[in-house]
Amino acid sequence: MRSRSFRFSLIMATLAACLFGAQLANAAEPVVIAVPTSLGFLEGKEAVKAVEMAVGEINAKGGVTVGGQKRLLEIASIDIRDAAPGVPVPEALLGIEKVILEKKPAAILVGPFRSEALIAGMDLISKYKVPTIGSIAMSPASEKKVKEEPEKYKYVFRDCLNAVYLVKYMAGTMAAINKEFGFTKVYVMHQDVAWARATADLVKSTYFDKAGWEVLEQEAYPTGASDFSSGLLKARSKGAQVIMPIFDMPQSGILVKQWKSMSVPALMAGFISPLAGRDAWKTFDAKIGGAMNCIFEMGSAIASDKIPASVEFYNGYKKTYGHEMEAGHGPAPSYEAVYILAQAIERAGSLDPDAITAELKKTDRMGAIGRIRFDEGNQAIYGFDPKETAVGAVFQWTEDGERRIVFPESLAEGKIELPKGLKPVK
Amino acid sequence: MFLGTVVYAIFNSAILALMALGFNLTFGISGVANFAYGAMYILSAYLSWMFLHFLNFPYWLSVCVSIVFTMVLGALMYRYVLLRVRGQPLSEVIATFGIGLAILELFQYLGFVGYEYSLPVMIDKSIIFGDIVVDMQRILITAVAIFLMAGLWAFTHHTRIGLAFRGIAQDERTALTFGIDSDRIGMISVSLGCGLAALAAAVIIPLGSISPGDGYDVLMKALAVCIVGGLGSTGGVIVASVFIGFAERLTDTYISSSWTMIVSLAAILIVLMVKPSGLFGRQKELEERI
Repeated sequence: MRSRSFRFSLIMATLAACLFGAQLANAAEPVVIAVPTSLGFLEGKEAVKAVEMAVGEINAKGGVTVGGQKRLLEIASIDIRDAAPGVPVPEALLGIEKVILEKKPAAILVGPFRSEALIAGMDLISKYKVPTIGSIAMSPASEKKVKEEPEKYKYVFRDCLNAVYLVKYMAGTMAAINKEFGFTKVYVMHQDVAWARATADLVKSTYFDKAGWEVLEQEAYPTGASDFSSGLLKARSKGAQVIMPIFDMPQSGILVKQWKSMSVPALMAGFISPLAGRDAWKTFDAKIGGAMNCIFEMGSAIASDKIPASVEFYNGYKKTYGHEMEAGHGPAPSYEAVYILAQAIERAGSLDPDAITAELKKTDRMGAIGRIRFDEGNQAIYGFDPKETAVGAVFQWTEDGERRIVFPESLAEGKIELPKGLKPVK
Repeated sequence: MFLGTVVYAIFNSAILALMALGFNLTFGISGVANFAYGAMYILSAYLSWMFLHFLNFPYWLSVCVSIVFTMVLGALMYRYVLLRVRGQPLSEVIATFGIGLAILELFQYLGFVGYEYSLPVMIDKSIIFGDIVVDMQRILITAVAIFLMAGLWAFTHHTRIGLAFRGIAQDERTALTFGIDSDRIGMISVSLGCGLAALAAAVIIPLGSISPGDGYDVLMKALAVCIVGGLGSTGGVIVASVFIGFAERLTDTYISSSWTMIVSLAAILIVLMVKPSGLFGRQKELEERI
């Protein structure tokens, strides 16, 4: 009798221990966030660091609340190399599928670097139902797919700038240049990738052609091109007043160096990835005075006192990693994406992808990039007023190595100035 | 504009020749296709950067030390890896490619990605020829390329080791009977090839910035030039680099920049179809010999 009751107690205690242990295990199980992107490129590298910073902040406060339980966030990053020249899109998709199948993430953040990979990967994302917030790839073609088949592609969001909004910033800048200096001749040089092609084509059709500018030539350079002398020679011989570059590859730094060494008498105004960060002044031997560069999202590589959250993020990044951000695209929306996701999970109360997706659609958050809301294509809305929309900006390097925001007016810290040697037409 | 295009085509040819010289030398002497060549190029650039920024060496010293270091690494690679697979071309290629991949991926893994990784130009000036503005760095590259080619010719024709190089390249067995140690010469040739890659990096990298991905690009360009010119032929390298250099710049100017990168690949394809051993190649296919 005594041994029977002892055995019974032992069994009950074991069962209780198993149940308690299982609960403990569930509570300890982190929420996995997959980050598949090109880690070998600056934007990808710093975007992941921004995600890590946000995850660290959230985990320091106990993590994210999922159905009443606090769970830590865990990052599973993978280098899919989609931005490297010559890497086929299917190779990149293999990396995305690998991380989905192995890590079973609750969501994907940052996402593919190249729009070609993102658009091709949308079917994969729909197949596995993984809510995704992209912060780098920019082609509006992904939103088009979301609008055409909303139920199938509802999981795909983007909180960074897209090419359409970039066009508005570029067009606004060109209009300001035209108004200030009377320039009307532009030479367009862009990278031969989807987002850059779309941007160049749209700026031409929506602004230059309508405003009476003369587009002297529009040249596409494959990723990895390392000599821009022909284009610069042509810009010079055709009398270009403005050169509009659109590049995110590391080799585009050579374009800047050649522009200076060949003394091409034209204002450089566009987006060249190496020109975004503060260290560019040193990298380019203090020879970039006058060059104008677009920052795709406020907080990425530059902050504005008019958006305190951008300053907080920018300084936080510098404090966490010991150096300033260099990427003008990716880090700030990647940081915000973690908070957007965390808040959506908490509102959904579960990790069910459909529930998270439904809550993501309702996002209305004030962050480093301004006010974040998504449109019907799941694209964050960008504009010129940070109280109403997310914002980017255009800055100009001064002759003494400072970066001064010159567009939009709501954030401008000064006017556009011509570099030495250039004269206005009017 | 045509004159400007020609001038920059000359610079482009010099850059290609400089990139390919070391690879060509190594293959011509030891028969080793050093697929770690691009990695050695990038490695020496990063080493120069590290000596400059972490140890505060003067620039000239950083470059010299990184060239020596790369040469030593090349010699060690031959002594401890390639010697074991000598005579098995496929294994040599796989071994060197694996080493190159490991070096480049290590830099990427360690986070050596960003625009702060760049080297300053050696002569910070531009000169004007009529309508054409040319930076001194490119003129320096051209001068170094010419000097190296002349120097290599003098080395292989007027020094003992150089003559030993040529002996091994002509007929290894006969050279052995003359007491020339083929393994030692092979090691020196791989080391020298890596040194030439390091020197090329020292003068070319200041045009842009250092990126691990560029290692694959350099290897591809070196291969293109050597295959078109003929593996093992220095004269072939010169002709091929001029041919490809001019083709790229003229395509850029008069057709479209999108097609520029295809030029070197198309050149390989055409040469392999028409004359597989290359323009001045010495390893002739049977059909070519008859």
